[in-house]
Amino acid sequence: MKDYDIIQHITGRSLFIDDIIVPEGTLYAKVFYSKCAHGKILSLDLTEAYSIKGVIKIFTYKDIPGINQIGGIVRDECLLAENEVHYIGMPVALVIAESRFIASEASKKILIKYEGLPVITDPREAFALGHLSIPPRIFESGNVEDVWDKCDIIESGKCESGGQEHLYLETQGALSCPLEGGSIKVISSTQGPSAVQKVVSEVLGISKNKIEVEVTRLGGGFGGKEDQASPWAALSALAAFLLNKPVKLILSRHDDMIMTGKRNPYSSDFKIGLNSEGLILAYEVTFYQNSGASADLSPAILDRSLFHCTNSYYIPNVKATGYCCRTNLAPNTAFRGFGGPQGMFVIESAVYIAAVKMNIAPDIIQRKNLLKEDDHFHYGQKAVNVMTGISWDKAEKDFELPEVINKIRQFNSVNSLSKKGYAYMPICFGIAFTTTRMNQANALVNVYTDGSVGFSTAAVEMGQGVNAKIREVISRVFSVSHDKIKNEPTNTTRSANTSPTAASSGADMNCNAVLIACNNILGRLLNSAADDLSLKNSIGLFIKDEKVFLNENDTGLSWDTIVENAYSKRISLCDYAHYSTPELFFDRDSNKGNPFRYHVYGTAFIEVTVDCLRGIYKIDSVKAVHDFGHSLNPVIDLGQAEGALMQGLGWMTIEEIMHDKKGKLLTDLLSTYKVPDLHFTPAEVNIQFLDKPNPVGIFNSKAIGEPPLMYGIGAYFAIMNAVREFNTDAAPEFSAPFTPEKVLLKLYENTFAEEALSTAVNNSDNKSK
Amino acid sequence: MNQNISFLLNNTAVNSELNPATVTLDFLRSCKLTGAKEGCKEGDCGACTVICGSLENDKLIYRTVNSCLVPVMNIHGSHIVTIEGLNLNKSQLSPVQSSFVIEGASQCGFCTPGFIVSLTAYFLTSDKLKNKNILDFIDGNVCRCTGHSSIIRAAGNLQNEFENAPDDFDKRLFYLVDKNIIPEYFLKVKEKLNDLHIVLTDSNISDMPDYYVGGGTDLFVQKPDEMLSSSLSFIFKKNNPDTIYEDDGFCCVSASATVTDILDSVLIKKLFPDINGFSELFGSTPIRNNATLGGNINNASPIGDMTAFFLSLDSDVILSENTSERTVSLKDYFVSYKKTVRSRGEILKYVRFKLPQSKYFFNFEKVSKRTYLDIATVNTALYLESENDYINKINISAGGVFETPKFLSLTSEYLTGKNINAATIREAVRIAGTEISPISDARGSESYKRLLLSRLIYAHFIKLFPELISIKETV
Repeated sequence: MKDYDIIQHITGRSLFIDDIIVPEGTLYAKVFYSKCAHGKILSLDLTEAYSIKGVIKIFTYKDIPGINQIGGIVRDECLLAENEVHYIGMPVALVIAESRFIASEASKKILIKYEGLPVITDPREAFALGHLSIPPRIFESGNVEDVWDKCDIIESGKCESGGQEHLYLETQGALSCPLEGGSIKVISSTQGPSAVQKVVSEVLGISKNKIEVEVTRLGGGFGGKEDQASPWAALSALAAFLLNKPVKLILSRHDDMIMTGKRNPYSSDFKIGLNSEGLILAYEVTFYQNSGASADLSPAILDRSLFHCTNSYYIPNVKATGYCCRTNLAPNTAFRGFGGPQGMFVIESAVYIAAVKMNIAPDIIQRKNLLKEDDHFHYGQKAVNVMTGISWDKAEKDFELPEVINKIRQFNSVNSLSKKGYAYMPICFGIAFTTTRMNQANALVNVYTDGSVGFSTAAVEMGQGVNAKIREVISRVFSVSHDKIKNEPTNTTRSANTSPTAASSGADMNCNAVLIACNNILGRLLNSAADDLSLKNSIGLFIKDEKVFLNENDTGLSWDTIVENAYSKRISLCDYAHYSTPELFFDRDSNKGNPFRYHVYGTAFIEVTVDCLRGIYKIDSVKAVHDFGHSLNPVIDLGQAEGALMQGLGWMTIEEIMHDKKGKLLTDLLSTYKVPDLHFTPAEVNIQFLDKPNPVGIFNSKAIGEPPLMYGIGAYFAIMNAVREFNTDAAPEFSAPFTPEKVLLKLYENTFAEEALSTAVNNSDNKSK
Repeated sequence: MNQNISFLLNNTAVNSELNPATVTLDFLRSCKLTGAKEGCKEGDCGACTVICGSLENDKLIYRTVNSCLVPVMNIHGSHIVTIEGLNLNKSQLSPVQSSFVIEGASQCGFCTPGFIVSLTAYFLTSDKLKNKNILDFIDGNVCRCTGHSSIIRAAGNLQNEFENAPDDFDKRLFYLVDKNIIPEYFLKVKEKLNDLHIVLTDSNISDMPDYYVGGGTDLFVQKPDEMLSSSLSFIFKKNNPDTIYEDDGFCCVSASATVTDILDSVLIKKLFPDINGFSELFGSTPIRNNATLGGNINNASPIGDMTAFFLSLDSDVILSENTSERTVSLKDYFVSYKKTVRSRGEILKYVRFKLPQSKYFFNFEKVSKRTYLDIATVNTALYLESENDYINKINISAGGVFETPKFLSLTSEYLTGKNINAATIREAVRIAGTEISPISDARGSESYKRLLLSRLIYAHFIKLFPELISIKETV
């Protein structure tokens, strides 16, 4: 696979926003943000900042010609703070200067005074005060209240999952250039060009047709640039529009980490009821979602937690409640999995504690309750082409898991310094935007008279290989080689009113739109060829390896000639097509319907070793059987699966977001926020392709972006098992990430070592950093 | 302020008047060489990695550096290789690049140039290739998309494919050019560097600079903007050609020795045969290539890894000012948080410790949130002289548990003259708890740091004397 993009990347020629050669006279912006998590702005003094040579202008909310409002789902978010600040990192002013350095120096000279207001960082505390961004959401099936009495085992508990920094290697940024007639072009690092267009339009008070948003590629997105690329684009556009000069705004890593939201942390309560056989009869869960200071995408994220709260299991009675709790943290946002991982971690915790109570391995409960064909999800959708049991059994057989588990037991019986643990992790993830109207995409396909092909779609390339997959579709329909096909940047003048590239659906929807356009063009070309061949119609004509065949016979016509002939006959070589995902509906009152086009399944087995002396651990292996459908591009799909898995493992283990009580982010640099590195990668990552066709997928394929992330959840339970091998008195606890700190404290919970410590002299006046 | 800086940038000689504190990444990007990316500007992601070649005793030595932390003054007279310098023949990919295509080892592409450059640097190591693990060369590069699996496969394929590369560096250069791993101009680099006619001299050390700049790996993380307007004296690799040597019963290590110099030193390897077991825990390859011992000690961070190492060896530091010198025990060097006894005009010349006279043991422990490429939550080093299980002499240092790097004097004192057994170590751990005062921060809570240090003290003994103490006796 010699893909265009990868060749640019490996030679260092790919242009990201900060690499684009800027027009002469470009100015540079720096965001001045709140250092107070909640307060009234008493004064804002720009005098000293203005005294620095090279400062052009400092904008505040008062300069906004349109409306100072960027909230997507709920209209609750200012672009620039007015009289109050709601989190540390909230943009207050925008400094424009001749260089990035000057802008940065000047922003340090802005003087601001606040009157502090109470700071809330905990979602349960926000809930108690009634600080909800939307009314509570409740998904229900059966009736849990009727069933508790019939359960032999009932376990309830609490479960916490932490936030997660996207850490796209390319920080947020935009370059805005004024065009003639009051129009503006915004080059943005966004997953949602149309979302940027909407926000810029509202902030500037000009119509959308005057705003051109372009995206060539992103240096990683992972959801972090779905909605949260918009403020930076809008700020640079605001300055460019008002100053009539190009303005570039690139966030430093530190600013990016402080100002942008992360994966929503959740605090949850669960109650699970099973019969003595281990069959789950009822499950009740309440999610307290930490949405941060404004709703952003949190309501939609919360819905996905509710959809996926039963993971891969069939549970007849479910009650799931979600609260979108407003706190004084940067607004949390989309992150690969979009609430699914948070929901699944809770049910897995519930299953684990039930297994501990029943004194059986959790996988016995997991396997017994896996979804079966035609089971109904608690939101009413029927499960079809279910791959849960198939993937589980194949993993067990192909990886010889009973033998692996025996070896783990043997290891533990002879080793005292380190212990191994394992866990199974089945997944089930629905594909589609759960907001039905977002399931649409469009594509422009141009065939040029020399036979080369160009395309432009709603899809944004961020490393997930969507353009390569589109090229594969075009290549299959037109039978031309990949090097004849070129993608154009995503641009709102070519693809208007688009949904963001998100929800794992970018390839599905945009490939389908491209497929329609290609089939339209091919239909015209074959009709034209039939005419050239003096046939009545094109029945029996097809194209293979750039040659036109009639039934099995080579007609002598080639791709290039039919293209050229069609042009001469004034037949269009271009097509624009629109695709809307069929058969989707969802009633938001009853919370029932058919929200997903299909589901992605799979099963992983995770093995870890815990160093019981030091509390550090190593994920030894992840083996998975994943439901790829018939992959459109196995190299890309494997890369997506491996990459998503690692983000899931990171979320469960070492990626820890910490705030102090005043709402200040403590993990605000790469030196304090740690993502998996090379050494963290398990020695064995073995992901097998289940390779069963997906009848409703493009060429029988399945979406891949998000689902494998959730295999990472198994790491939590594998580590817990290893810890409990060492310390049988350690009580299971569900608080991700399971950092080395938590592991060590758990290893020595209720032991002499812990007691000895509590008597240690404590004089914590001194610093230690 | 500006100074003349000359170096070879890929195949082109550069001669510019620059603020010497401009970091190389900013300079490169201002020249429209945008292959090196700004991912974090603190040496933690590797997206800006470039290769730096310098003539040392007429030998061309290549190493990777984080261009975001290297001031241009430190590349004066060097050969800088960026991703753009690997494909001067635009149509042909190098095998390193091709390996990424085959394995799909690049997704969004932002980190990719850094990986390609770092992997290419593996082939340019002055050591024999078979002595090196190619993965170590990318331990300072972080990829958020791939999860590294495909990159590890690509790197493994490369190591296997070219395992027959010549050991001799000059012969290897021809081999690498032949295999298209590097362009042909590399064969002329030595000549071209000599043509620059750079004489590297010590800056005048009596001019009382605001800062002495070694490798820059701490200063340019902490205060890059301040550096641009400060008076600086650049002292990287400029005084002692032999940075680590034996002298009169001492092992002396020049303050300008990098962590890599120390780890590669024959003398250090002889003294600490197990050093490879924990050397990878210090920073990353490009950081180790630049971070100096003097910088690590003078930064006075309570969690400096090299500081903990030398503290346990009961080292002295030798400070000089003009013609006078003084010797201070490292134990007494740190006065409070990030403060040392060094006065502004003084420069740290070298660090020395007594060569062991009897049977000794050494161990280093470090735990951080991420095992590699992370700053310690707690670190500790132990030096011990013993006969049978009787301790004649012992020094234990600990980092991350006090406002300064901590020599655990009470603990060491207690253990001297004791036999190694569980009861003794348990008491030592208790005493250690009385002489530390960790604080809760992003690296861990106070109670965690206390527990961790106690476990790491046990770890020293369980690792060195497994027959005398077991983990079961510690809980």
